[in-house]
Amino acid sequence: MEALDLHCQFILDEYREVLPTLEQLKEKVLQTLREALDRNGLIVTAVEGRVKTEESLAGKLALKGAKYATLSDITDLVGARIVTFYTDDVDRIASMAEQLFEIDWDNSVDKRMLHQLDSFGYNSLHYICRVPGFDFRFELQLRTTLQHAWAAINHDTGYKSGIEIPREYMRRMNRLAGLLEMADDEFSRIRTEITDYRRRVQKLVQNGKLDDVLLDGDTFRSYLQAKPLETLNKRIAAINQAEIMETSLIRYLRVLKALQCNTLGDVSRLIKKYEEDAYLLARHQLGNTDLDIVSSAVGLQNICIVCILSSGGGKIGLERLFDALNGHNPHNAELAELTYQQAMNLPFLKNLNYGTKTD
Amino acid sequence: MTTTIQQSGNQMIALFSGRLDTAAAIPTAEAVKPLMEAENKEIILDCSQLEYISSSGLRIFLSIRKEAATLGSKVIVRSINADIRQVFVMTGFISLFEIQ
Repeated sequence: MEALDLHCQFILDEYREVLPTLEQLKEKVLQTLREALDRNGLIVTAVEGRVKTEESLAGKLALKGAKYATLSDITDLVGARIVTFYTDDVDRIASMAEQLFEIDWDNSVDKRMLHQLDSFGYNSLHYICRVPGFDFRFELQLRTTLQHAWAAINHDTGYKSGIEIPREYMRRMNRLAGLLEMADDEFSRIRTEITDYRRRVQKLVQNGKLDDVLLDGDTFRSYLQAKPLETLNKRIAAINQAEIMETSLIRYLRVLKALQCNTLGDVSRLIKKYEEDAYLLARHQLGNTDLDIVSSAVGLQNICIVCILSSGGGKIGLERLFDALNGHNPHNAELAELTYQQAMNLPFLKNLNYGTKTD
Repeated sequence: MTTTIQQSGNQMIALFSGRLDTAAAIPTAEAVKPLMEAENKEIILDCSQLEYISSSGLRIFLSIRKEAATLGSKVIVRSINADIRQVFVMTGFISLFEIQ
């Protein structure tokens, strides 16, 4: 690198003096951004920041030092970057930044808008911002994960500006930029459609049209928000005045599907059909113990047990249930046997077994 | 009732021995405190010598699991006897723990 002229040397000296302030500015910016993202419920891939290194600043000054009268004319001494999952979030975070910081609009640029209709390349939103109480401005870059990957790989090629890149490679990089832009748009569309789907499902659940809703992870969660098992769980807890601990029921999704529940209507009917026997099973099991804590899964678990046994699934069916809930384990056969023995004295199984041979 | 904690590489192993009843719950809760501070570990609750577990004991296991989840650790309950396995089923916690 060429030796810097005196003017640039002065700027570098000033940089060394204010380095602690720049570090403070960076920390302040990152903290402000992270808190605002949390407040707005925005989940992003990364929030990162850096203070320009002396080496990088010297390089910049060597190239265009005359452009800067003082150190504070350089707008990217402190840089912050937020990498989002979705393109929509870039715009949401940009609005958020406009509320948080004073934006220097003359120096800010939306590189996404710079492309011609037939060109693709670096895509990112750059805001030059100021935090009250600090003399220096900072640069905030907002981009998606895919834009970030493209920019990082493009940078890795060692070419600082697009012009230096040999035409053939530039064309291939830009083709990839176009491809990633399409992928970004598609990811955003998928998110929007999933959100719409969840809203539609919630509405159907609220309106009680459960037979119209296919059973899947999303619909099951929506259904559980209506607490269809609460009454049963409370009855079971009352056996020993037990505390109910909330636990996820998502592992039961696979079990319910195996029990031929294809819609939420099927799940609702399953609960109604077997809840009394599920309660009797719990009373039989817990009544002789002093266990005063139960999981919120206990009601559904017992419904599944009763359903399997009532349908003639026997011990093998129970073993499969425990395999699904707890992973395949040789002890699950033993557990199935124990549960089967306990259930044998209950009316639903007694009636079923009357005059028949069980496995 | 005794609780011994050993660390081996990325694993923390708690060996429970005896009856984890209400009386044993307080010293056991104290003994398992290192597990509650373990970040990104595999926590093994070795129950091969555990004869009995009460609700208080279950609560200790649940607390360990809850703290582990917040600290990026994973809890495995190992070698429980048939009675204790039945307790996990009766209370509905069988699907919450990884039981080996």
